[in-house]
Amino acid sequence: MKKYLADIAEIIYDEFRVISTSYSILLVLIGGIFVYGLLYNYMYAPDVVRNAPVAVVDHSHSELSRQFTRYLNVTPQVEVLTNAVDYTEAQDLMKRDQVVGIVYIPDDFEDRVSRGGQSVFIMYETTSAFLYYMSMQEASAAAMLALDEDYRPNMMVFLPEQAASQLAMAQPITVVGTALYNHTEGYGSYLIPAVLIIIVFQTLMMLIGMISGRERHTGSIARFASQGLSFGRMARVVAAKTFVYVMLYAIFCCFLLGLIPLLFGMPAIGNPFEIVMLLIPFLLATSFLGLAASLFFTDSEAPLLMIAFFSVGLVFLSGVSYPLELMPWYWRVAHYILPVSPATLGYVQLSSMGASLSQISVEYITLWIQCLVYFVLACFTYKYTTGKVKHSHGIR
Amino acid sequence: MTYFVSVLTREMKRMVSRRLYFGVCIILPLFCVFFMATIFGNGQMENIPIGIVDQDQTGMSREVTRQIGSVPTFRVTAHYTDAEAARKATQAKEIYGYLVIPYQFEANATAGREAVLSYYYHYALLSVGGEVRSAFETTLRTLSMAPVVAQATAAGVGVDQVTTFLLPVKSSSHPLFNPDLDYSVYLSQPFFYIFFQVIILLVTVYAVGSEIKFKTGDEWITSAGGNMVIAMLGKLLPYTVIFSIMSVFANYVLFGVMHIPFSCGFWPLNLVAILFVIATQAMAVFIFSLFPAISIIISIVSMVGSLGATLSGVTFPVASMYAPVYYTSFLFPVRHFVEICQNLLYGDYGFAYAWQSIALLFVYILLALLMLPHLKHAVLSHKYENIE
Repeated sequence: MKKYLADIAEIIYDEFRVISTSYSILLVLIGGIFVYGLLYNYMYAPDVVRNAPVAVVDHSHSELSRQFTRYLNVTPQVEVLTNAVDYTEAQDLMKRDQVVGIVYIPDDFEDRVSRGGQSVFIMYETTSAFLYYMSMQEASAAAMLALDEDYRPNMMVFLPEQAASQLAMAQPITVVGTALYNHTEGYGSYLIPAVLIIIVFQTLMMLIGMISGRERHTGSIARFASQGLSFGRMARVVAAKTFVYVMLYAIFCCFLLGLIPLLFGMPAIGNPFEIVMLLIPFLLATSFLGLAASLFFTDSEAPLLMIAFFSVGLVFLSGVSYPLELMPWYWRVAHYILPVSPATLGYVQLSSMGASLSQISVEYITLWIQCLVYFVLACFTYKYTTGKVKHSHGIR
Repeated sequence: MTYFVSVLTREMKRMVSRRLYFGVCIILPLFCVFFMATIFGNGQMENIPIGIVDQDQTGMSREVTRQIGSVPTFRVTAHYTDAEAARKATQAKEIYGYLVIPYQFEANATAGREAVLSYYYHYALLSVGGEVRSAFETTLRTLSMAPVVAQATAAGVGVDQVTTFLLPVKSSSHPLFNPDLDYSVYLSQPFFYIFFQVIILLVTVYAVGSEIKFKTGDEWITSAGGNMVIAMLGKLLPYTVIFSIMSVFANYVLFGVMHIPFSCGFWPLNLVAILFVIATQAMAVFIFSLFPAISIIISIVSMVGSLGATLSGVTFPVASMYAPVYYTSFLFPVRHFVEICQNLLYGDYGFAYAWQSIALLFVYILLALLMLPHLKHAVLSHKYENIE
């Protein structure tokens, strides 16, 4: 037993030395964890779209249309860039990206209301970013409701006399909508928690890719064959390497998932103990997956080609931005294959939504199953690659 | 010319010598096309699971439930006895929102007292939550007028007249280009190219950098007769061709098979995509030439590439970000590409509105050319071979 522990300790020492003496690995860790962690938060810190510019095409030139423009302008979501353009000029502004929408007020806007009819204003929104569309929707709804409140008393005269008093008695049903688990209703507080977990996953995969790719390329992997290629020995190699990765990432997670949400006021209403309980299988499964995937990592740069391109795809695959229920079945299956997707979803549920571990049992159990499967695969990969490299070196 | 051919053939031999190149130049782009073409299902946020808490259990509350159930956005998957249970189900992500019909709802509504309908939507998952909210909002706003309409009808006032009374001013909304707010129309095209630019950046850096790493740089430059421009063109041309074919194929899948609407012709889109491929390659060469140590630069490039997703401005508008971030976004080819594509797709506004972006894509090529002498010097000096 003691012999095995000494063996593991030696590999751990080696691994730490490899990590701490390589510029490129340190760069991935510092750049990926610290710079990226801070940068992403900074980029999304505005959180909500405010004062999106719109153009008002006012053909009515009336008291009512000016009142409407004022109401629109005071909403936080949009800002009226100009109301002195005709429709073609407004279109031109839109083509130049100077406005994100056009509000067209027809010339009978006030006349209709004065006649007891219904006035309509028409909105054209760009869909180049859905958040602009949502801002315009919210702003125009608010302006419309405010204007309607103002003019409703004036509309009384168009109703029969008895009806007026009866209608004044009737109360519309009050509708109250409440956003759950996102106190700023912002984009950043929705996206950042997911991005943080994906940063952990991607940098850890890159780290493992760079280390194991280098081992293969330089042939230093052959050193693991010094005590034979038994499954037990390979398990010790995998365990020792994983120990190093998990230790390092325990510290990084304190920064990314502990400090950053505090610094940037992210929603973090989770129980820290349960978040740690989720991170344990996540980091283990990711390390084992990385070591198992090292089958394809033949030099220290090639793994990055295979890993880095999909960072953004993982946001989709995790089911945070688009509901899993609406994806085709094969992507729902893929969701349960990589550790990052259940972990992202689980983390968002724990931390942003204050769920308990029992409510994310599916994700949690999935992660532990992945640990088992990828551990065995990692051992076999190391057995195979170590044997292969040793063999080719032997021939030389 | 002979030098050019010799670099070209040399590069093609390098490409077939390792399976890696086949994987990253062919398999990964195809995977990205497939991923972005299929991940959104049919692109419509429909049948989103929601719950209903009906504490009233009256004719009117059942009518509300029926109305909610008939909205295509929703699929009512569960009925809860209290709001607490519904909230728990939301935390477990079984539902994305719920409606609470309180006790005495019908009694209050018919008696002219204040009756409240509260709906809750999941905003930790903002994009789904937004859909749930707007569907609730449109359905319930209409419903909320029911007591007034009932009184009015009793008094002999027509429904038209009472809606005019309640809403003298009404809006009519027209989302341009994507009228049904389809997610695949919105995201599939830009996000394919966001993935693709990461691949292009990395492959270009790897293709050039591996010459230094595997110490074949001298041979590379010799085969080009010492001309760095020929060496670089010959080296990158095969990739440009492959990536251009991939872009055309991706455009075919997106616009031909998936029927994403587009206002321009098919070829302007492809030409812009090819220009984008070249500009991205040029940017990779530029960044690599700054410090030609592959192990360092490739990790920097992978981070730069991933930033493209944020700075392209597709998800969160860059103009709403802080000024330093906004201005940084102009350094990324993908941002200009997205701008040109929006111009082409949304209305084919014309060259007058896109020339700045197109011109800027050409600037990357210039930047790369300016750095070539430095790169040649770096390759021949062998200084960067052992930096890890």
